[in-house]
Amino acid sequence: MHDRAAGQHGGPLKGREPTAGIARRRGRPAGRFAPPVPAPLAHAAHAAHAAHAARVAVAGLGFVTPLGRTLGPFDDALFAGRSAVVERTLAIGRLDAMRMAVAPCAFDSHDARGCQNLPLDRGTAMAVAAAQDAWAGSGLDAGTIDAERLGIYWGSGMAGAATLDATLQGLYGEDRRMRPTTVLTTMPNAAVAELALRFGARGAALGFACACASSAVAIGEAMRAIRGGWIDVAIVGGHDAMLVPGMLAGWHSMRVTAPPPPDAPGTACRPFSADRAGFALGEGAVALVIESEAHARARGAACAAMLSGYATNCDSVHMTHPDAGGQARAMRAALKDAGLGAADIGYVNAHGTATVAGDAAEVASIHEVFGSVVPVSSTKAVHGHVLGGGGALELVVALRALARGLLPPTAHLRTPDPAFDARPVDFVRGEARPAPALRHVLSSSFAFGGTNAVLIASRAD
Amino acid sequence: MNTPTFNTIAQILEQDFRLARGHIAPERTLVELGLDSLSLMEFVFAVEDAFRLRIPEDRLDPRAAGLTLAHLCDVIDGMTGTVLPATGAIARAAHA
Repeated sequence: MHDRAAGQHGGPLKGREPTAGIARRRGRPAGRFAPPVPAPLAHAAHAAHAAHAARVAVAGLGFVTPLGRTLGPFDDALFAGRSAVVERTLAIGRLDAMRMAVAPCAFDSHDARGCQNLPLDRGTAMAVAAAQDAWAGSGLDAGTIDAERLGIYWGSGMAGAATLDATLQGLYGEDRRMRPTTVLTTMPNAAVAELALRFGARGAALGFACACASSAVAIGEAMRAIRGGWIDVAIVGGHDAMLVPGMLAGWHSMRVTAPPPPDAPGTACRPFSADRAGFALGEGAVALVIESEAHARARGAACAAMLSGYATNCDSVHMTHPDAGGQARAMRAALKDAGLGAADIGYVNAHGTATVAGDAAEVASIHEVFGSVVPVSSTKAVHGHVLGGGGALELVVALRALARGLLPPTAHLRTPDPAFDARPVDFVRGEARPAPALRHVLSSSFAFGGTNAVLIASRAD
Repeated sequence: MNTPTFNTIAQILEQDFRLARGHIAPERTLVELGLDSLSLMEFVFAVEDAFRLRIPEDRLDPRAAGLTLAHLCDVIDGMTGTVLPATGAIARAAHA
């Protein structure tokens, strides 16, 4: 199998030639890495440069989100700024009741089972549903593609949270035994393994856990694997489903989640607003099927969007406090990776968690990279913060903007924080804004732990 | 076999393990039913919870090949005197 694959594809760097062609067409400076570097290194650098220029086709989307599972309802809510956030009161024993704003999914995960009949965590069940939809949309046939060149790259901040919460509650509260499957259901790569089994993927099957950047990093690392020629196709994305008592209480105690206004709980999350008060915890799973441009062309697939740039780095400053410098470096690196300038980007889907510190740092970093001209919105106001799945969800938001030529607003943003006036950015608020000339979009994910991940998508034509 | 014990076990196999009722027969071994080692453990846990008992490993090693449903019923009946599980026991087992 391995020999056959190598013979067909010409080895692991098979993507080099079409990649180089794309780089030339897009006018990237030749020999950028050349002069002071010794010849062998120059060759390696040139190969890396060529690989970096490659675009990766988006072949399919699938999602389980608070805004729905299909494009129609998803777009309707997204572009109308219609919030899926609701109030939930958490009562645990004799503790004070906790009022929280959450964005749940209408998704039945009761007694969900995997393809080998193992019980599935709610998040894994969502991941499977999302991936199945993405796969169906891609038009790929698991029976005909090279399984050894199909990868799974999946992110989750706290995979298995719902199962762990329920089983620990049973163990400590009711003296009930743990199930023999508990470890397998809650391990961080549970969804990765389930997806690999279900789709017969025999390439790399990797889980990424970097908090709120998890799925963005998963997608970006799969891009790199495809560009490098190690795989042709990947099922990518991420999930989190932790709207369960233990996890909710943990988030509540951090004071980063927004209290739901009694008269309008749906407006709890107000990114960039003067009166912002944090985010609403969401849940969901978002999957994309991505493939090398050459693979897509060879099978005659019509892919409207391409992933064109990715970068990740770490602030290395503080566990939770964001660093505008680190964010700016990540955005610039993603632009460089895509071979684009700041002026090429027509929309930024911000991380925009609506925390005081988070939004301030992000506005500063966006202004540093883009000045005041790029339209920016945070759609967490309507779909909540899906944590490990958030990067994938917000990439899909950016892709929908690209597909529709329409920028979704930051809902509930009436008065931007005056503190931003010194370094203003162009917030999309109120109604969705038409952007028929939109060609390149950028989505940022900035995580606890300091990980920043930035993805850039572009129209294919 | 149409005893309450067998019917309860069959119900667990149907509900939790998605087996077709027609495939569930007393002479079938657990391996023949398609339960792998992990599923066997989960199945025994579910049975124990449903009947509110703990089967010592020296009486029943779920990993042993060739264990039939009839033998499992005998072990359970020997420990319980053919006591029907309490109402809701199966549902609880399914979510344990």
